[in-house]
Amino acid sequence: MYATFLAHQWMGFWRSKGKGGTIATQLIMGFIVLYLAAVSIFIGYNMEHIIMEMLPGKDVILVFNGMILYYFTIEFLMRLQLQELPAMAVQPYLHLNIPKKKLVSFLNITALFSVFNLLPLLLFFPFAILKINSDFGPFACTMYLLAIISLMVFNNYAALYFKRLTIGNLKAGILGSIFLVAVGLLEYFKIFSIASLSNLVFHTITITPLLALIFPVAAVVMLTINTRFLRSNLYLEELQSAKQKKSSTDYPILDRFGEVGVYLALEIKLILRNKRSRSTLTKGLLFIFYGLLFYKQDKLAADKFWTLIFPAAFMTGNMIMLYGQFMFGWQSAEFDGLLTSKLNMRTFFKAKFLLFTIGSTLLTAAVSLYGLISWKILILQFAVYFYNIGVTSVITLYFATKNYKALDLSKGSSMNWQGITASTMLQTIPLMLSPYLIYLPISLILNPYWGIAAIAITGLAGLSTRNFWINFLTKEFQKRKYKIAEGFRQK
Amino acid sequence: MQKALDKNKMLEIKELKKEYAGTTVVDIDHLIINAGETVGIVGNNGAGKTTLFRMLLDLIRPFSGEILSKGKNVAHNDQWKNYTASFLDEGFLINYLTPEEYFLFVGSLQQYSPSEVMNYLTPYTELFNGEIMNSGKYIRDFSMGNQNKIGIVAALLQNPELLILDEPFANLDPTTQIRLKDHLKTLKAKQLTTLISSHDLNHVTDVCERIILFEKGKIIKDMYTDENTLKELEAYFSLRTF
Repeated sequence: MYATFLAHQWMGFWRSKGKGGTIATQLIMGFIVLYLAAVSIFIGYNMEHIIMEMLPGKDVILVFNGMILYYFTIEFLMRLQLQELPAMAVQPYLHLNIPKKKLVSFLNITALFSVFNLLPLLLFFPFAILKINSDFGPFACTMYLLAIISLMVFNNYAALYFKRLTIGNLKAGILGSIFLVAVGLLEYFKIFSIASLSNLVFHTITITPLLALIFPVAAVVMLTINTRFLRSNLYLEELQSAKQKKSSTDYPILDRFGEVGVYLALEIKLILRNKRSRSTLTKGLLFIFYGLLFYKQDKLAADKFWTLIFPAAFMTGNMIMLYGQFMFGWQSAEFDGLLTSKLNMRTFFKAKFLLFTIGSTLLTAAVSLYGLISWKILILQFAVYFYNIGVTSVITLYFATKNYKALDLSKGSSMNWQGITASTMLQTIPLMLSPYLIYLPISLILNPYWGIAAIAITGLAGLSTRNFWINFLTKEFQKRKYKIAEGFRQK
Repeated sequence: MQKALDKNKMLEIKELKKEYAGTTVVDIDHLIINAGETVGIVGNNGAGKTTLFRMLLDLIRPFSGEILSKGKNVAHNDQWKNYTASFLDEGFLINYLTPEEYFLFVGSLQQYSPSEVMNYLTPYTELFNGEIMNSGKYIRDFSMGNQNKIGIVAALLQNPELLILDEPFANLDPTTQIRLKDHLKTLKAKQLTTLISSHDLNHVTDVCERIILFEKGKIIKDMYTDENTLKELEAYFSLRTF
């Protein structure tokens, strides 16, 4: 039976509609996996050496022990983001004469086929076999390996369980995130340390190896919990979506914008009520922390703004870039309806501009806190803010009139390549380069501050000629609207 | 073919052609739909009904020819949108809205206030059978039949002069089919021009005063309904059921 399931999955992959895209995606994913595996093996074999180089004078085993639980904590978070639930595939089998038990164990087995279940083996095994074996003997080494495998399995099912639980349950999701943030803060303020806990646990194992048996027990318990949950919830509607009542919402504030506000409210609902758009939005919010990496005091003091323009532009405008990239594919499911409705194309574009403006304004307001580091950051961010709403949004919408690919909104956005085309990839190039084209010559001829001013002025020029651009975009859209609508009908 | 000359034209189709990969799917020399007519479009799968409707709504570009709505080419301006309402498939619905939100959205495009929209919806409470309003579900979570109902009612809500429905009876429960039929008949009295495609010959002959029969994109029969129409149509289709 399992062989049949596997055969079906295999056929499902090869016969899928967007096969070309899927294969390309899988190839790229395959390369990434190979690369990660190679890096892991390299690190794994040279672990002792690397630790000695990076943290000279520290006990190698102490560092290694401290790392293990740390790794698995971060891995758990990554699994939550990236590991996919293998749930949808069972739908066609539910009504057939196949015991539920089999379906559940099939789900559990396929869940093990994940990169996350390969990397820890490559990373930790070589060191454990080389070093622990020679220092503490083969028995301790075996128990070490057992503990690591068990932790991996535990993480695997815990992440899936947590994900399944939170699909239909917002409360559990919020509670879980609060817990994780709390652990993170405790770690940050050194009240509680994962590293020292990890050290304590694995140090104990080296002394009394039998204690490591706790880990396989924990893994089996987690597997059982997961299996129970699956068995009692293997119903279509529960696998699919939340059951809580959906309420109608209004945004009275948007009424001030008249018809434009109506379309804007519609798009805000689209963003908040679909999985893919929601996860794109949260991804954008995470990029707010980009500044912590890029805004360096020495660069600011030397007025070397060219390294800062991209992060500033991206932080203030990532909503335009990440969300706008797929326009109007977000609305592909109802596009025919929009076209036949009493929709004025100019109004449609005005609503898009307003959406971009509101998004960028909110982001800019949030990242203005970086102004505490230096006032230079503040003027830079405002300059690129004007550039984003004046120029970037026009470029993005122009590319939108050349996007014929429907978007599936029901899947998350991470590692999701559906709907990505050459056009969506290409458009990021002018978006990223264009501020430099303005900044570099002027900052070389005059000075860096004039360069920033030029960026702001270009943005303001785009803003003040917005009517012209709306007409231009409307014309471009009319040229290709049949092709866009046609493309959106191909799901 | 008798056509009252005093009636004004709602739709005029001239030498309309559409091809897909070399096969002609729509090929109409000349067709006039008068204001106030209720027209049924029948034909087997592949007859070109949906393609014709999509061209009427300017969703696909004709290969050649033109469609005039109140004398104006639908592909060249948006005037027709002011008096035309349609529902072809669930691609016309906005699936992440609740039905109430969708009705309010459609109503707001006609400048109706929320209370006006709710007023216009009252005649359809019977049609909804208590399942649509205040159900706390997004449109995407409704059954096909109920999605159909939402789409049809949203079209009617716009008080159109021209109504275009693609297979409105499909997926509906028998009670709703009968109620919808009755409702469409009352609309006929209000001088609404209606275009309906359907595979249900009983319903379509019952509702429509004029039936146009398509085969492979061509009009092969265009007749005003009388007591013999149903038999005539059944005879045509039974020859083609192999």
